[in-house]
Amino acid sequence: MTEVLDRPSTTQPPGFGTLFSRLVAGGLVAGALAGVFSLLVTERAIAPALDLEEARTAGEAGHDHGEELFSRGEQLVGGFLGTVLAGVVLAVVFAAVYGAVRHRLPGRTDFARVTVLAAVGFAVLALLPALKLPASPPAVGDPDTVGTRTAIYGATLLCGVVAAVLVGVLVQALRARGVGVPGTTVAAVVASAVALALVLVLVPDNPDVIAADVPAAVVWDFRLASLGQLAVLWAGIGLAGGWFADRATRGPRVR
Amino acid sequence: MTSVPHAHPATAASRIAVPAWAWALALLGLFGLYLIAQDNGAVLASMGGTAHEFFHDARHSLGMPCH
Ligand SMILES: [Zn+2]
Repeated sequence: MTEVLDRPSTTQPPGFGTLFSRLVAGGLVAGALAGVFSLLVTERAIAPALDLEEARTAGEAGHDHGEELFSRGEQLVGGFLGTVLAGVVLAVVFAAVYGAVRHRLPGRTDFARVTVLAAVGFAVLALLPALKLPASPPAVGDPDTVGTRTAIYGATLLCGVVAAVLVGVLVQALRARGVGVPGTTVAAVVASAVALALVLVLVPDNPDVIAADVPAAVVWDFRLASLGQLAVLWAGIGLAGGWFADRATRGPRVR
Repeated sequence: MTSVPHAHPATAASRIAVPAWAWALALLGLFGLYLIAQDNGAVLASMGGTAHEFFHDARHSLGMPCH
């Protein structure tokens, strides 16, 4: 009896197309929310960095980033649309991965499962790089090291994805051996902490030295804003996508 | 696992087939995002730099390395 009541998802698996369209719609909502966050919060943290850059180039007169191609207003629109685009693309990738691992994720409903996978996505693709290579506002990074920093960023993401897969495999193996939820959780947390430590120690550090004329507050306000924007993006993918997907798969006997 | 009602809250959902187009689209999307975020217009010589400038704030705010 409880078996029946406790099983809100339909027993029939949903088609991938249904999940895909709903998760991508969630990504669109997530991108729009994160885009609004960027206009309200992150752009406010970028502004002092741009002032600093302007003051510098006025003094040096020479190399610049070519910022004049677009006005500030157009760049704000671009920042919003870029965030929306990132939300949609991440949701497309998320949908494929979700389809592949859905039957292994904890949770009885698609809402729960989508939320869990989105939390993993945030940890691996946003939090981990933020710890290894914290975001920098314009004018802070050294243009000469951008290739190295991009490689570090990519290596961090790759290591994170590999670590997440390994932790997932570990959890599956423990479950198959009959280890309970507490034991499995502890093992997963410990394995994740070890993986985090390895990535932080083994992947090379950011080669940049922040210039003396950049106030620490400018950098840290931006870093927190950037992480907040990524948190909104992933929360949106998890909550909006999860809600949309759930509505398609929830069994008729509940509610 | 089916005979133990309270041991695991996770009921095993049945497996879904992910079609090849979904993986292809995912890779294509990531590649497109990478192209847009990158500075050099090597691949999209004419519009690569322009797209980069337009989406430049998003590149910074989403935590990707830049200037
Ligand atoms: Zn930049």
